Amino acid sequence: MTSIRTFLLAACAALSFAASPARSEVAVVLNSGEGTISLIDKASMKETKRIPVGKEPHHLMATPDDQFLIIANAASNDLVFLDPKTGEVKRRLDGISDPYQIGFSPDRKWFVSVSLRLDRVDLYNGADFKLVKRLPLPKTPSHVAFDTASAFAFITLQDSNEIAAIDLKTQAVAWKMPVGKQPAGIWMTPDDKHLLVGMTGDNYVEVIDWRAKRSVKKIKTGDGAHNFIAMGDGRRVLLSNRIANTVSVIDQATLEVVDTIPVKGGPDCMELTRDGKHLWVTARWARKVAVIDMATKQTVKEIPVGKSPHGIYFASHAPRR
Amino acid sequence: METITTWFALAHQWLFESAVQPVMFALGFASWTEPAFNATEIFLIGAIEITLLALILGSLERWKPVERWANDAIARRDVRIDVIYTFLNRLGVVPLLIFFLLLPLIDGLDGWLRMQGFIPPKLEDALPWLNAHPLVSFATYLVILDFVGYWLHRWQHRFEWWWALHALHHSQRHMTFWSDDRNHLLDDFIVDATFAVVALVIGVPPGQFVLLLLAGRVVESLSHANIRTGFGWAEAWLVSPRFHRVHHAIGLGHEGAARGCNFAVLFPVWDRVFGTANFDVVYPPTGIRDQDAGRNYGDGFWSQQWLGVRRLWHSVASGTPSRP
Repeated sequence: MTSIRTFLLAACAALSFAASPARSEVAVVLNSGEGTISLIDKASMKETKRIPVGKEPHHLMATPDDQFLIIANAASNDLVFLDPKTGEVKRRLDGISDPYQIGFSPDRKWFVSVSLRLDRVDLYNGADFKLVKRLPLPKTPSHVAFDTASAFAFITLQDSNEIAAIDLKTQAVAWKMPVGKQPAGIWMTPDDKHLLVGMTGDNYVEVIDWRAKRSVKKIKTGDGAHNFIAMGDGRRVLLSNRIANTVSVIDQATLEVVDTIPVKGGPDCMELTRDGKHLWVTARWARKVAVIDMATKQTVKEIPVGKSPHGIYFASHAPRR
Repeated sequence: METITTWFALAHQWLFESAVQPVMFALGFASWTEPAFNATEIFLIGAIEITLLALILGSLERWKPVERWANDAIARRDVRIDVIYTFLNRLGVVPLLIFFLLLPLIDGLDGWLRMQGFIPPKLEDALPWLNAHPLVSFATYLVILDFVGYWLHRWQHRFEWWWALHALHHSQRHMTFWSDDRNHLLDDFIVDATFAVVALVIGVPPGQFVLLLLAGRVVESLSHANIRTGFGWAEAWLVSPRFHRVHHAIGLGHEGAARGCNFAVLFPVWDRVFGTANFDVVYPPTGIRDQDAGRNYGDGFWSQQWLGVRRLWHSVASGTPSRP
């Protein structure tokens, strides 16, 4: 009798396993203009669900342990924690003032929240999200990058055409330096030597020797040079040019553009598949996500999403360096 | 519906990328592209809205008017001026101007509050369920702002200096659906600034604030229309052309203990609660009593604005705080 029951249970389990579809990964897209997230089935490249998440979600990132995906709702003053694989909302953390862009320092000690609208940068304890310091930092602080030693957080100041370095030990602004027009995306090269800064008001990336506080090169990319993501090979980095409607591939060793990929509709944030074959790009003005075949440089799919799609994430992404 | 949304999105993108973004970039305003993208949407919505209003409400006004002035040159001139106000407002020129004047003030105040450790609360703090139901949240903010709108409107009639500006809106003797936006620019600024502060205090996100202001516009146009109709039983819940016409009526709309009646912008419930409702089924002539005695409120856009400033100056100089 027992053996029959065991057999039936095993058969049921086998049948239910066979009947259930293979679990596909989701891509999460923030529709900043309508306060929702689009969950896209990554295999079929179709939006499966659109759910309200909060007001003005712009940027997102995984926790350092990859257990959660954090969505920063700027106008809701909160962070929403999702399951990074399924997109399920796990919890909401209130009292985070105007989080526009967010970042963890490499040593995980600091969670930095950049308040673009209110000219503030907030430093939170990376372990428990308790506010340690609120720094006024005009004008229009935009994006954040860190050095490998987690000594500094570097912030672009979009409307005063500067970058600022915050000393994380003293939690004070250590220095500022002028750069080009409307700096937005900021990226530390893997050798920790240079900061790359996207000039959204111009058509180039400015290379900063941050230790010497000196601009050393301008890499011409395209109008509206905006945001970065690594190609995962430790050498190349991708940059979206929001007005030129292109993505530039930059070699971080030679500091040259090595390729240019057309992407329509105001390319903004990007995510690259782990195998490096497909680049997913939010097309800000087109209410779409463009999927690019990196071998042919062609858009293979345009996935309709919500209004003003901004941040994008999936778990099986290329390495961040 | 999906097809309409898709076509609208395409038109929005095309207009922005081909006309707005290149100008912004060339002028050095690349960091303002997101507000410009939203402003382009407001412009497009306004253009579609004006076209539909002209077609639908214009037809209804011709079919069932309260007053007929087809051959009256003065009436046609008066309506033409209101058309200018409508274009300036609905296509976003006036809202944009006010937005840029208010933005540093509101963000400055909000930023200062954050430095004091105060994050303005929001409805969702008290009712977390609303986080997953943004439409309910939006409707709740709409009701709250309509309540505030009711009281602002009462004060526009109560305080002498404010009435000096607001009287322009009531001086239209040939009221049509175009008349909703006939306001003194200073009056617009004061009302929008007050709304913006209230929106900050109750936690309306900046992006949604504009949408909330837009949400009631169609009803407000309809309520000014020269159409002989009420809403029957529904009039108790939504402002109708008849209900609002009484608010604009000579001798009824701006006089008496409350300095008028039917102040509600969208929902007459506030007039019922505060005792200012008038549900009489009448269609009286519109305007202000002193116009019969020869007072001139201006024959063109600029003269109306200038005379409004003069009235404001006289009311402040005379030191009369509220209307006798």
